[in-house]
Amino acid sequence: MSLAAPDGTDVRALIPDVPAGDGPDGEKAWRHRHLLDVDVLTWPEIELVLRTADSMREVLARPIARVPALRGATVTILFYEASTRTRVSFELAAKALSADVVNIAAVSSSVAKGESLIDTVRTIEALGASTLVMRHPVSGAPYLAAEHFGGSVINAGDGWHAHPTQALLDLATMRAHLPGGSVAGRKVVILGDVLHSRVARSNLWTLTAAGADVWLCGPATLLRGFEAWAAASAAAGRRFTVTSDVRAAMRDADVVMALRIQRERMEGGLLPSLREYAARFGLTRERLGLARTGALVMHPGPMNEGVEIAPDVASGPGSVIADQVSAGVAIRMALLYLLAGARGSGGSA
Amino acid sequence: MNGRRIMTADEVRRATVRISHEIVEKQAGTDGLVLVGIQRRGVPLARRIADSIDENEGVRIPVGALDITFYRDDLSLVAQQPVVKGTDLPFDLNGSTVVLVDDVLYTGRTIRAAMDALVDFGRPRAIRLAVLVDRGHRELPIRADHVGKNVPTSREEVVKVRVTEIDGEDGVDLERADDVVAATPLG
Amino acid sequence: MSALAAEVARVGEVGEVVVDLEISRAWLVDPSSGREGPGELVVTDGVIDAVNWLSGDEADGVDDRGIIVAPGFVDLHAHFREPGDEDAETIASGLAAAAHGGFTTVCLMPNTTPALGEPSVLGRVRAAAAASGSPVEVMAYGAVSAGRAGETLAALGELADAGVVGFSDDGLPVRSATLLRSALAYAGMLGLPVVDHPEDASQTDGAEANEGLVATVLGLRGWPSSAEASAVARDLAILADVRADVPGARLHLTHLSTAPALELVRAAKAAGLPVTCDVTPHHLALTDAWLAGWRRFAWDEPWRPGATVEASLYETSVRVNPPLRSVADAAACRAALEDGTADAIATDHAPHTSVAKDVEFGLASNGISGIETALGLLLAAVDAGELSLGRALAALTIGPSRVLGFRPPTVPRGLVEGAPADLVVFDRSDSWTVTAESLASKGKNSPLVGRALPGRVLLTVAGGRLAYNAS
Repeated sequence: MSLAAPDGTDVRALIPDVPAGDGPDGEKAWRHRHLLDVDVLTWPEIELVLRTADSMREVLARPIARVPALRGATVTILFYEASTRTRVSFELAAKALSADVVNIAAVSSSVAKGESLIDTVRTIEALGASTLVMRHPVSGAPYLAAEHFGGSVINAGDGWHAHPTQALLDLATMRAHLPGGSVAGRKVVILGDVLHSRVARSNLWTLTAAGADVWLCGPATLLRGFEAWAAASAAAGRRFTVTSDVRAAMRDADVVMALRIQRERMEGGLLPSLREYAARFGLTRERLGLARTGALVMHPGPMNEGVEIAPDVASGPGSVIADQVSAGVAIRMALLYLLAGARGSGGSA
Repeated sequence: MNGRRIMTADEVRRATVRISHEIVEKQAGTDGLVLVGIQRRGVPLARRIADSIDENEGVRIPVGALDITFYRDDLSLVAQQPVVKGTDLPFDLNGSTVVLVDDVLYTGRTIRAAMDALVDFGRPRAIRLAVLVDRGHRELPIRADHVGKNVPTSREEVVKVRVTEIDGEDGVDLERADDVVAATPLG
Repeated sequence: MSALAAEVARVGEVGEVVVDLEISRAWLVDPSSGREGPGELVVTDGVIDAVNWLSGDEADGVDDRGIIVAPGFVDLHAHFREPGDEDAETIASGLAAAAHGGFTTVCLMPNTTPALGEPSVLGRVRAAAAASGSPVEVMAYGAVSAGRAGETLAALGELADAGVVGFSDDGLPVRSATLLRSALAYAGMLGLPVVDHPEDASQTDGAEANEGLVATVLGLRGWPSSAEASAVARDLAILADVRADVPGARLHLTHLSTAPALELVRAAKAAGLPVTCDVTPHHLALTDAWLAGWRRFAWDEPWRPGATVEASLYETSVRVNPPLRSVADAAACRAALEDGTADAIATDHAPHTSVAKDVEFGLASNGISGIETALGLLLAAVDAGELSLGRALAALTIGPSRVLGFRPPTVPRGLVEGAPADLVVFDRSDSWTVTAESLASKGKNSPLVGRALPGRVLLTVAGGRLAYNAS
């Protein structure tokens, strides 16, 4: 279980510099064969991913931004949902590690028109893939894939449930830009369609583990069920706040993360209109003014400028949205590398 | 820990000084020389060699650090040694004579990985190798240009180099493998 | 135990009349007379020849923790998939599963293909039952609506003449309130109940898991409690109105799973409405935490977000309609059984092929293969002190019979001298492990696979003939 610091102390202070671990230099080993969600990562493991990602950033800054660590390995990217940004990010990450990349844009269907997920996964394995990066519109799909895949599965987003690599790159971005390099005790606001957001759920795990003061804010219809989660979480020592009061949420915030609002929410009867959402909850310059000076502005992308985020805020001072993208490649390289090690497969010849 | 000391602090110091003389002698001077220490313990050793050359020749040779974690040919080690310590080569390699510095030379795979890494940064005129201990058992056709001490070992043994900058003392010990958490097969 | 083994070796083959069976020194339970205690029972040529209740020294050492003899169980709600989906289950395999579970009578739901909306389909079902050679009694519900489409009434009269025991559109609710009203009136005229699957479908569109903490954390679309409560409230209001014209109208609500719905039934019964209901073993023993990989019974330590995972998340074997609910809802199901608000336990046995289940959670078919694990789950609740043995066995025998209106030949369901032998013998001190091999049903979609359950059925006798023998 992740370590939490409910009183806001920096959790890194709780961890000895050289923890009793498995490596000869005492470093903590990475033991997970898959990355399906961040809720199973311990704090030392999260730190390990972030440190490894720092090294990957150095690799990306080289004239030849490539290392042979995954040479000979095949990474298959299986996306059942359209996404350019995340898919390209994983592709660049795999290639920077010299892996071969196979891209599959599949169609998810409840009618047995295409191959079943299990059959697809088995075929991918038979074709020699060692790592499967998967995005799927149904929550829990990567867990099914992981049960039937001999290599490693990385969840690139499943339904409303989890987006572990996004949460890790968000954490890396925050630490890179916050004074002191830590999110412990910082007020982080996640603003928007929390109910349908895997980004919100995964960030909730990592940020509460890191000791941040997390606020979830949005219209009541899009916060359904989170008040009960906040109560259960508080009982377990991990506090976060759920509110529809934008001004209270934004006041003195150190980080604001805006989430995408989709048109389907209106059609599903959850919102009167996007215009009304933008007026009441949109991240405008005026609302950002309530936050701390220099507060970070983040967005997982793609953005609906003018709806959940004003254009001048998205590109204004404080916006680290572009950094999120570059952090994404480094984090994904780190995970591909660590997972390959956990498999213990020999890489290159 | 039951090993025996095969190099004392004084012996380490003398070997380091001798190696620094040899490097300059082979180069017939200091022009074009750069030292690249292989993480982890090769780095402080490279700095000491640079200090020694500075004392004797009055020239500060550039020192860099090279992490070969991502160039290893055996991913099964990642689980044991996942953390990367970092590469820092703040100079232009092109046309330079790079002297790689490492603590122990064993199978030769680390050096092969180091050469792979170096060529990604530029094209040196020559690459040489200086090690504190050569313990034999080469698996690749690699040899060191400068050796502190040759130590015949068996595969069950581990050569443990200790440097003040990391371990608080200088010295080289020969230990049995099962006393150490994991023998480092690369060397 | 060894004495019993010697006796069962002589009972003959499955399907044959039990010529000679003597059970000495077992705990007899007879819910119809309300009597239970140490006793002996003799069956001769398929008829209960003697029932002797022991007392004094003879009764020493015999308690309700060893061999128990009860009337054969009645399942008010099972899906045997034939005709139309024989890969999932056939009548023959379903009856074998029923007998393994201790059931001697099963009531089949009409959502087959074609649906049981006319007498010819009922004929096919009966023929398949006869061809199986199983002595387990097969009863069936006719569809409420033609083709189960929810628009017009099915051939209710013809179905009644052909011998259905009630009407249901199960799988689906009776969506139209006016159609339910007509069905209750017409069926009441025929002297049969309408069995409704209470679900307000407009609230459950795309729903995957009980609306609650688990669904929120796992990112699953919620199945609100109000979808069941509002459907139950609607049905009860309609029943109250129909009763004025048709005093014989009867409503049975099947697989109630939430505390608010059960409370509505409690109040309706107190007001004298002719409503009955059942709960399933999985709703009283399991919770939605099983989706989060938490494999504890509802009365054990509850789950919290982030708890150590004990099993796979999103296992489709726990996906069922109504969904597994909260700890409080499961407790309400057990309390309803104990106080009689729930008249019966029905398994809602719903076998599925792996093609239907081995897919992404949100795409998997709903249903648990549960007829063989019902007794085990109930005994687990009894062992934990969450349910009394007497109520559990009554809810499997006299309760369902009462719901069915005591239609012959299911009555009398009792350990009565002179009656055809219809009984189950199980050893409460033993256990069995649920595996794909040990399940007789073709449906291996049970969340209990890999788990040991208390109690082991030794012998099932239906209508005087052997239905199942563990030896």
